[in-house]
Amino acid sequence: MILEAKHINKFFQEPETHQVLKDVSISISEGELVSVYGESGSGKSTLLYVLSTLDTDFQGDLKIQNQEIKQLPSAGLTSFRNKHIGFVYQFHYLLPEFNVLQNVMLPAMKLAQKSKEEIKKDAISLLGEVGMGAYTKRPSYQLSGGQQQRVAIARALINNPSLIIADEPTGNLDQKNSDLIFDLLKEITASKNKSVVIATHNSKIYSNSHRAIEMIDGFIRL
Amino acid sequence: MSKHVFNKTNLFIALQYLSARKKQSFLATIGVLIGVTTFIVMINFMTGVNDFLDDAVFNGSPDIIVSAQAKENATKKSFSIAINTIENTGKIDSVLRKNQNVQSFAHQVISPAILISDTRQFPGSINGVFAAQESKMVDLERRLVQGEGFQSLSKENNILLGISLANRLQVSTGDHINMILPNGKNIQLKVSGIFSFGITTIDNVRTYVSANVLQNLLGENDIVTNVHIKLKNRDDVSLKTDVITVIDGVSTEDWKDSNKTIVIGNKVRDILTWSVSFALLLVAGFGIYNILNITVIHKRKDIAVLKTIGYSSNDIIFIFLIQSIIIGIIGAILGGVLGYAISYLISTTPLDTSDFIIVDTYPINFKFSYYILGFWFGVLTTIFSGYFPSKKASKVDPVTIIRGI
Ligand SMILES: Nc1ncnc2c1ncn2[C@@H]1O[C@H](COP(=O)(O)OP(=O)(O)OP(=O)(O)O)[C@@H](O)[C@H]1O
Ligand SMILES: [Mg+2]
Repeated sequence: MILEAKHINKFFQEPETHQVLKDVSISISEGELVSVYGESGSGKSTLLYVLSTLDTDFQGDLKIQNQEIKQLPSAGLTSFRNKHIGFVYQFHYLLPEFNVLQNVMLPAMKLAQKSKEEIKKDAISLLGEVGMGAYTKRPSYQLSGGQQQRVAIARALINNPSLIIADEPTGNLDQKNSDLIFDLLKEITASKNKSVVIATHNSKIYSNSHRAIEMIDGFIRL
Repeated sequence: MSKHVFNKTNLFIALQYLSARKKQSFLATIGVLIGVTTFIVMINFMTGVNDFLDDAVFNGSPDIIVSAQAKENATKKSFSIAINTIENTGKIDSVLRKNQNVQSFAHQVISPAILISDTRQFPGSINGVFAAQESKMVDLERRLVQGEGFQSLSKENNILLGISLANRLQVSTGDHINMILPNGKNIQLKVSGIFSFGITTIDNVRTYVSANVLQNLLGENDIVTNVHIKLKNRDDVSLKTDVITVIDGVSTEDWKDSNKTIVIGNKVRDILTWSVSFALLLVAGFGIYNILNITVIHKRKDIAVLKTIGYSSNDIIFIFLIQSIIIGIIGAILGGVLGYAISYLISTTPLDTSDFIIVDTYPINFKFSYYILGFWFGVLTTIFSGYFPSKKASKVDPVTIIRGI
């Protein structure tokens, strides 16, 4: 198992205490592509933030790569995330001060397990795989939404993480681009045997996943 | 994995941010530069003036003056103006010899007199000195403009004049002047040396003759009117009161009493230097604080992304703090260079003799330690003003921000 979440409960205190995740248990095995769908406000993003270790304020057990997440100190958590989890957002946020290549290199430069030259080579080859090989020197803000999302996928993969978490990665794209991005994500993660969790409203995505989980008002329907 | 936040990657990110905001970074650097430059120029100039005055004043005048108090029945005899003399100089000498803080002392006979040259005349106060003693008190050689120093007094009837006084009397070395004492006696003296302390209050009035000359004219051998004392530690003036308690009929005055305006002037210059520099660096610091603060607010999303891709809170603090430190270091170095250049220009600027100081150019202090001080002053300002925005940046919660993107 890449990821095992057991009996996750999550409360928000504002405006008044309310429960957003209700006894959610989910496990994801190696190479599996799982999508989470459901109505707006049902708790998909909240679940993904918990699974990606960005939000540790929850009840229940979360194990990623056999590491008990709650046992990690906050600095250890940051580096754990750096090494094991790649994240893709709806708004494909690239850093505008850096060019395409630098954006992809940043997580690996933080990990600092390879030389800058090796990192550069990895980044260029990943950019080639997502079809952005011709844009390495471009400032990131000069790209279209779909192009930025490709770069974001390359960035999520640079440290060779076992788990990719994507919150509505196609939510901001038209149907054609949306299909292209999903196909890319699916192919590239399959070729590298990565596990992927995608939150989505797009029926094409959840009907083309290995497994689709529906969220209803904080519960998951089994 | 790198544990230290000071690493190439964080530095690279910081530099990238700095160069993405070239104009703001430039302005912030200019702010620090102005602060440090001002500090360097002011402290060079102000301490230059202070040291110059200290040197001139404290070299030209004793630290403590013991003088005779006016007596009821002063030895009038033929004097039309009473000269108060110190009775027991032997006792004073033994007190001074025993005191650890006394560096040297000298007897003087001081008398009012009128100096008359071929064209002019001026009333003044004449210092009758014992050349051997006085040369240990005042380094006149260094101050000589023309002629010889104290040693010329032991030979003939010679007189040494302050340069402004010599100019006013329109005499130079070798010329003769007449000196008339209050008792009507007079003597012709030869100008054997002209000196300048650089301070009008001294150069306008100071004259030296041999004590014997005055003693002869006053008709009293061996009389002494003043004892001048140089201290090892000038700040310890306890001797001033010690002497009065042991010796009757004398009064004492220390350098602070005699040079009140200069002592106050030095303080005012110090305060001015520090407060103006501090104010300017405060403005520069506030500028940096503002720029970084706005950047942090604008860049909340970027910070959130950096955090999700593995950058820790400490990395974020470093990335932002180092930006402000880089601005500080560059600004401080350039400020030091510019400060030196301006100080140098000032030090070579010819100066019209003022009422107070007589010098060719402005006195400037070129102490290396001021540059170190200015550098730290600038860098600490930026560290301080960069810290709070950086801390704020590190507190950005990625979940909250990403939800809002
Ligand atoms: N910081 C917060 N404080 C309080 N309530 C919150 C907070 N964040 C989210 N919620 C609430 O939690 C619930 C789940 O939100 P979440 O963003 O997970 O839904 P979602 O399924 O991702 O919706 P969408 O499809 O619109 O993205 C919502 O009712 C939302 O209002
Ligand atoms: Mg959502």
